[in-house]
Amino acid sequence: MTKSENFTKYLMALLTGLIVAALYAPIVMTIFFSFYKTRKGAVKWDSFSYEPYTKLIFEKQILESLLNSLYVGGITVICSVVIGFYFANYYHTSKSKMKEVLQFIIFLPFLLPPIITGLSLLIFFREINLPRSLNTVVIGHTIFVLAIVFKIILNKLETLKPSLMESAYDLGASKFQAFWYVLLPNIKLSIIIAGLLAFTISLDETLITLFLVGNDTTWPIKLWAKMRVGFSKQVNASVTLILILTTFLVLLIATIISKSEKRMVN
Amino acid sequence: MSFLINYFKGSIWTILSFAFVILLILVPLASFLSYSFFTVEGLEINRELSLSNYKEFLVGEIYINTLLRTILLALIVMFTCILLGYPVAYFLARYAGRFKYAILLMLIIPLFMSYIIKIYMMRSILGYSGLINKVLKMLNIIDKPLEFFLWNQNSVIITLVIILLPLIIIPTFTSLEKIPKNIVEASFDLGCKPFQAFKYVIFPIGFPGLVVGSIFVFILALGDFVTPQLVGGTSGFTFGKIIYSNFGLAFNWPFGAALASILLFISVLIILLTNHLTNKSKS
Repeated sequence: MTKSENFTKYLMALLTGLIVAALYAPIVMTIFFSFYKTRKGAVKWDSFSYEPYTKLIFEKQILESLLNSLYVGGITVICSVVIGFYFANYYHTSKSKMKEVLQFIIFLPFLLPPIITGLSLLIFFREINLPRSLNTVVIGHTIFVLAIVFKIILNKLETLKPSLMESAYDLGASKFQAFWYVLLPNIKLSIIIAGLLAFTISLDETLITLFLVGNDTTWPIKLWAKMRVGFSKQVNASVTLILILTTFLVLLIATIISKSEKRMVN
Repeated sequence: MSFLINYFKGSIWTILSFAFVILLILVPLASFLSYSFFTVEGLEINRELSLSNYKEFLVGEIYINTLLRTILLALIVMFTCILLGYPVAYFLARYAGRFKYAILLMLIIPLFMSYIIKIYMMRSILGYSGLINKVLKMLNIIDKPLEFFLWNQNSVIITLVIILLPLIIIPTFTSLEKIPKNIVEASFDLGCKPFQAFKYVIFPIGFPGLVVGSIFVFILALGDFVTPQLVGGTSGFTFGKIIYSNFGLAFNWPFGAALASILLFISVLIILLTNHLTNKSKS
């Protein structure tokens, strides 16, 4: 390795470190301010307390919005995985040329700016007189994450040998049996990954949700509304809890991916 | 007979699945496009088709200016992300060795972490008595708090870069990682200098990933209306914000829909252009 190459290497390592620090700075600060108090802009170092976490139980609004978010995330996972699997399977097995059109349409809400997806659904729901509620948010989230779920499951389906399903049918399996005992165990991991990813995205989706939310708000929207008056310690505490949950989910996804890749190699 | 039943059974599902995407993706898009040709009278929406919204867009200088300013903003965000993200992706793919996936994961996690929180905290980092100014003051580098990143375009750019940066690193890394080491070595054996090897071998192979990431960053920066509003101060009046305000206080859905149609048109144009670019670089 030449000297100049070594130099650029260290420069890039430094840049990487700085960027990781910059990306985590807002997050670390939130966690910090859930434990410590400030007075006149200066941190009071002796004010450590986890009281905001116990007080969180009395913050009905925040807790309600958290529960709403979990509800929306859960239903979104179920809808997007079922529909995403159906489309991936259709795309994989069909010989029709329409499947390319289908894929293009599925990818639209994911590729277009969220504001377009949000307001087109808003106008559509108004036209069919569907009042805004958590269910309209679920619809918005589902069509937004559908592309990702579809792609993950499709990628897995394409690695399977066509003989797999054929031999199942040859051995007398019904359509359902072939799906349940042969196909599903083989694509199980990709479905779990897709579902976790859909949940993680749904939990934090803001830009589409802003258009679709009714009286019951999700957690990010509640934060958005609270921002004008400033965050209380309890809000910071709820943020910390959600950050832990998201980190856990992402690490879980990463672990499952690396495990399934190892299995493929072996 | 059973063949026919089976055929229709299969096709009923096909029809249903197509009906689903058409109903929930295409029909909403169509209804929003058609709204852009309506007008508003008081609180009623007049459903006679007219081009008056688009005329208003072209006549009112403020809208075109805001659109151009927002495009410029998104371009600056995109190029800043490329400038910062590419070296990181390159470093991870070529030099980080066994740590590369761990570092990549560290860069992915913030992507899923609350968007609103990042904006809120950027406010307290960038603010007049924010973290940056405080640290600089403590180190005696400055006397008066710096103001160039306060409630203006710069703070919007910084915040968007922080939020969107992982989006460029991840796809660039994935395509750079595919480069086998021996190709690079072969180019050296054939007499390439390091810069030539980068220009003719590494960069073209990593290009598709870079383009995909850049497009995501550009489109998301272009359509964002929350970040500019919350950290941008008076210059937070971006195109997305105008669209959003037409659906809120201003209550002029048709005009908002017309502005959003223009945004849609630009986005589709960019996606098609990208497709063309990446296909070209493949062949």
